[in-house]
Amino acid sequence: MLRLSLAIPAVALIFVFMILPITNMVEMSFRTLGTTGPFGDDYTMAHYGRILTDGYYWAILLRSLMTAGAVTVLCLIVSYPIAWHLSRATGLKAVLLYALIASPLMTGVLVRNFGWMIVTALNGPLNESLIALGIIDMPLRLLFTQTLVILALVHVFVPFMVLPINNALRNIPPALTEAAASMGATRAQTFRNVILPLSFPGIYPGMILVYVLSVAAFVTPALLGGQMVSYMPTLIVAELTGTYRWPLGSALAITLSASTLLIVAIFTALTWKLMERARA
Amino acid sequence: MSERSSIFGGQGVASFGFALLIVALYVFLIMPLITIIGASFTSGLMIEFPPQGFSLQWYREFFNRQDLVDGLLMSLRIAAITALVTTVVAVMAALAGQAIGGRLSGWFQIGMTLPLLVPELLTAVGLLFFLYKIDLGKTVTGLQMGHILMSFPYAYVSVTAALRQVPPSLEEASSSMGATGWQTFRLVILPLIMPGVAMGGIFAFINSFDLYTVSLLLKPLGGNTLPLALFDFLTYEFKPTAAAAATISILLSVAGVAIVQRLVGLQRAF
Repeated sequence: MLRLSLAIPAVALIFVFMILPITNMVEMSFRTLGTTGPFGDDYTMAHYGRILTDGYYWAILLRSLMTAGAVTVLCLIVSYPIAWHLSRATGLKAVLLYALIASPLMTGVLVRNFGWMIVTALNGPLNESLIALGIIDMPLRLLFTQTLVILALVHVFVPFMVLPINNALRNIPPALTEAAASMGATRAQTFRNVILPLSFPGIYPGMILVYVLSVAAFVTPALLGGQMVSYMPTLIVAELTGTYRWPLGSALAITLSASTLLIVAIFTALTWKLMERARA
Repeated sequence: MSERSSIFGGQGVASFGFALLIVALYVFLIMPLITIIGASFTSGLMIEFPPQGFSLQWYREFFNRQDLVDGLLMSLRIAAITALVTTVVAVMAALAGQAIGGRLSGWFQIGMTLPLLVPELLTAVGLLFFLYKIDLGKTVTGLQMGHILMSFPYAYVSVTAALRQVPPSLEEASSSMGATGWQTFRLVILPLIMPGVAMGGIFAFINSFDLYTVSLLLKPLGGNTLPLALFDFLTYEFKPTAAAAATISILLSVAGVAIVQRLVGLQRAF
């Protein structure tokens, strides 16, 4: 019992500074807008009604959800080969590769996004090398476009996808792939029928994590999306710190979270079905 | 490279193509960091990569900018307090977590890592209203609490992993020799988990140093953290000074990763 009481500070920290505030935010989303302060005294459903009927909010919500979807899929495509390569490395090579993957993870999102600003500048290294290779004639304008936001988000979340997939791949006994090969399976067949299904325990949580985090990402769209492209997180922060309409901001945040959870639930249901069919 | 490589590691075009792809992907990962570091040493007047010549003028410029230096000092202070508090609380929580058995232990783990699983934006919005409610809005204390909350899971996960490596028999032996719980902890457990504790502290420090969204919403009056100052700087002036500031922050992270590698090995860290 004495030992369990050691958890009190941590539980208090999480409860007081996370659970209570988020519950509080739900309450805030039903408050009326205030005339003298950021919120009023009465309660209303009007903010949700407004968000659900206004095409402006729908468009931004959809853009956020779809962008995150694209980021998740691209992230998987980029991460899988890296995870594969990492899972086979041993010794000093493995240490170096882990460091290579961990260093971006340990460097702030803002710093990494700033790096992309330099790389994709009009006379930056990306444009210069594409022109030198003869792929394009004119420099590409990437800064403040949705393309760059997606590219930078993929970069931010690659480690979140590589590490779980790497763990799953490391848990596949080599004997299994040998068995498949000795039964006459081609490399492609072995990959599709043995490796891919067995790496699913890493792919699934990786995809969920990347999706949830990239829907709510604020820094990247704010820095690289510019004023032209707005996403839900930038809109929410603008409502909270720009126009000081706290109830509307909370309602937007809750709408965003609810739709994200809905998509995660649908995705989970679909993949379960797919896995069952694969097993059958 | 053993039998495992037999799937992609074959001969010819396919494996050459795969090697090329891997190199391209690693370049993608490291590219933004390399360009920032390179651009910070330019002797030219613009942010560019490859840099023109070599000079340390932008570092000098950085340390002459009061707003950026103030941001750096504030970030360092907040991150240091965060590392200290989170490791103490995390060691206590991890010891308690060990004593929880069965299904509850999984829920406890999830609860302790909640700040990692819930997007930073949501927590930040909730905290913004809550800190106002308890009169800590726009104060350094409020911001500090936000940083401690967001960095706690890093410390907790590291300490828990370290504690799992300690065989329970050691603790039994110690108490059978008449040591009190505190003595067992201080003389047996703590020395054994120290690398994990240090690693948790380093991760918490780095995470706090880089936090942006929480810092933006909880920003105290008249105070900026380095990421906030850097964002403002980038919006108005796109000069190599920013690259120098970012390089300092990269070096801090690299140092952190290197220390972790020395202490426990990166493979064990993830």
